[in-house]
Amino acid sequence: MNALALWVHTPVAQAVGWALIHFLWEGAALAAVLAAALFVLRPPSARVRYAAACLTLFAMPVAFAITLLVLLPGHTAETVTVVPVPNGVAQLSALPSLQAAPPGAGLNFRDLLPWLALCWFAGVAFFYARGMLAWFSARRLSCRGICAPPPGWQGRLTQLSDRLRLSRPARLLESCFTDAPVLVGYLRPVILMPLGCLASLPAGQIECILIHELAHIRRHDYLVNLLQGFVEGLLFYHPAVWWASRVAREERENCCDDCVVEITGDARVYASTLAALEHRRARALETAVAATGGNLMKRIRRLLTEPQPAQPTAAPGFAAGLLLVTCAAALAAWPAKPLARHAIPTVALQARLLESQTIEPQSSPLSSALRESQAARQGPSSFFGLVNFFSQSSTQAAPPQRKGGDETAQRPITTPYQKWLNEDVAYIITDEERAAFLRLQADEEREHFIEQFWLRRDPTPDTVENEFREEHYRRIAYANEHFASRIPGWKTDRGRIYITYGPPDEIEDHSSGGDYQRPASQGGGTTSTFPFQQWRYRYIEGIGNNVIIEFVDPTMTGEFRMTMDPSEKDELRYVHLSQPPAGQPNSAAPARTAKVFRSDQDHRITIATGGGPDAGKGATRLNTLIITPDPVAGQYHISAEVTTMGGQTVQVVAQNAQAELSGPFVEWLELPAGSYILRATITDPNRVSKSSETRFTVD
Amino acid sequence: MPAKPSDPPRPTDAELEILTVLWSRGASTVRVVHEAIIRRKPTQYTTVLKMLQIMAEKGLVRRDEKQRAHIYSASRPAEWTRRQLAGDLLQRAFGGSARSLLLGALSSRRASRQELAELRQFLEEYEKGTP
Repeated sequence: MNALALWVHTPVAQAVGWALIHFLWEGAALAAVLAAALFVLRPPSARVRYAAACLTLFAMPVAFAITLLVLLPGHTAETVTVVPVPNGVAQLSALPSLQAAPPGAGLNFRDLLPWLALCWFAGVAFFYARGMLAWFSARRLSCRGICAPPPGWQGRLTQLSDRLRLSRPARLLESCFTDAPVLVGYLRPVILMPLGCLASLPAGQIECILIHELAHIRRHDYLVNLLQGFVEGLLFYHPAVWWASRVAREERENCCDDCVVEITGDARVYASTLAALEHRRARALETAVAATGGNLMKRIRRLLTEPQPAQPTAAPGFAAGLLLVTCAAALAAWPAKPLARHAIPTVALQARLLESQTIEPQSSPLSSALRESQAARQGPSSFFGLVNFFSQSSTQAAPPQRKGGDETAQRPITTPYQKWLNEDVAYIITDEERAAFLRLQADEEREHFIEQFWLRRDPTPDTVENEFREEHYRRIAYANEHFASRIPGWKTDRGRIYITYGPPDEIEDHSSGGDYQRPASQGGGTTSTFPFQQWRYRYIEGIGNNVIIEFVDPTMTGEFRMTMDPSEKDELRYVHLSQPPAGQPNSAAPARTAKVFRSDQDHRITIATGGGPDAGKGATRLNTLIITPDPVAGQYHISAEVTTMGGQTVQVVAQNAQAELSGPFVEWLELPAGSYILRATITDPNRVSKSSETRFTVD
Repeated sequence: MPAKPSDPPRPTDAELEILTVLWSRGASTVRVVHEAIIRRKPTQYTTVLKMLQIMAEKGLVRRDEKQRAHIYSASRPAEWTRRQLAGDLLQRAFGGSARSLLLGALSSRRASRQELAELRQFLEEYEKGTP
């Protein structure tokens, strides 16, 4: 109490009190400037608006501090004259402020100021304590009730990070405590996805979410948000602070939204993603009905309507425009790096594929995948498939007739006509034709329809033969003969493409998979990529020139799937090594699980188990590391080390070792069971270095 | 003590992690759980096995012994456990306050049912408007 009393009568307390009062108008003025700026900047980029809001927000504590500094010396003298304190401790031990004041002054405003300052301190302490709690709980959130995402996703995230040119790696985890995807942490950012989100949403949508969160990382939003918390806590009593802070928060999300659209080029997919997320959240918590929700509606409206991308064709143009604005906006919170974009003949392609998508529900990833391969042809990037959400949900993209077709496809085929519709011509019949056919009642009508159907397509109507029909049935037969696996050949991805577009002009076949044979001296065995094929079409009507479609068989069952990701065949982001059966000599037990990891286009890194230079004595514990520089000529320098998942070095495999000419670099590792990361750097004769990181497990 | 004798106790942090894996991947063998766990931190297979056995005794997980490799599944849905943990004082203190710090694609406030309906309508109309 005494200390309080003393404090109240120091000049500092007075100055703080005055500064607090002054900030009332200062804050209001700054807010007014921001409001005016926002009004003027109404349509332009969210980045500029965000920068303006941040600038205002951080100008506020600066203004407060300056005021305080100015008041401190100047006000001292005045305070002393106004409140003479002969002996603070003695006089004020029982003190409310009013009694302490000279009687003549009455309810002196200035005497209240120090108490104002005290209240302010208490408030700041409260808000900062709350902030600390928030910080701790956010950290707790990222280490409790979490698990690693299903395989593949971390790799995809890394690819996206590279694309966004992020220096800080982000970890992806599933959490059972969040109900929406969130980003936690600044130095070691973690993206938390709600349980099951990764498994249930289409890949393209998840990528949108990941890009959004990565954009937060790139923009240092977590840090800015923390600082924002500091300012809010410091000047908590002024509504203008909270308002500016809220504007900054909103515009920050808009900035990230823009970033997603810029990269994916499709605002609609992203908008539908956000909507799907919100629906998911609502479904997960049926019980909790929030009073008034956030601003999602506003954001989606903004995404879809503000730039008026009346047609999907406008999307790339819109994004390019955004990019221009971005470049122009030097005010933006981080240096705007233009992202590689390419015009994709999206619409035609999608339309074309939508026509053919009738039987399999997975047809929409297919369409995106094809678009993907198209994009890959045009440029090095754009590896994420943009799954067309609307093709499933909206009446526009997926007319009801098709739905009916799907249903009939599910039912056991009872009549030859249904088989004709759902098998024979499933990929080539148009929606109108399908609808018309389904409306028919009598078999004679159907016969007539089928006749007309082929006749319309006959390139030479004058002749008896219908070349089109013959070719079509030949394709079906070919597909069934060559592509059948678990499911009939015509239903596979390869079958669908073959039947729709005919034989490709070129097939690059790696369907036996393995492209690296280990010599017997090294333990024997084969290392392999997943089997894959690349089909090249010189021209597909409605899609474009030189279309390359890649099919991968990751399950090794012969069922090749169309892939969106060129690196899918190199599925060695995560290697699992199993020991050869105990007791067998190594020569008889070749590497059991061995795959090839392409660190980039050139070099190969192979990790395998089994064998060892001295195969006799318990050498099954040895793992092989083979690094094959490519082309295998010249002098390479290789550095490699194995660390634990935590980053502790387990073994330095090679330190600037020279790998000569023909042979690959082979090293034997003796590792106990566990998970490891292998970091390897290969420097070629031209002193170009390439690094890679491979995770693997030994058990 | 839990209110009903049939309800499993609150999971510890380590148990929660295993439960999270089971919720995420569905019913799994020990091997699958172990594979998911070691991607975050090195853990022995036997540790995971032992923990799953203990959790089965506690009633946190169910064990399907029909096949040679026993298959474990979480006995309660994630939402149930989350609510159970929300009763935990610590969790309550920690639960809400982190909101202001988290950055996410969705705002921390949930949309109301009405808003969701509006949203859906808007998207549908937008779709119709753009051939």
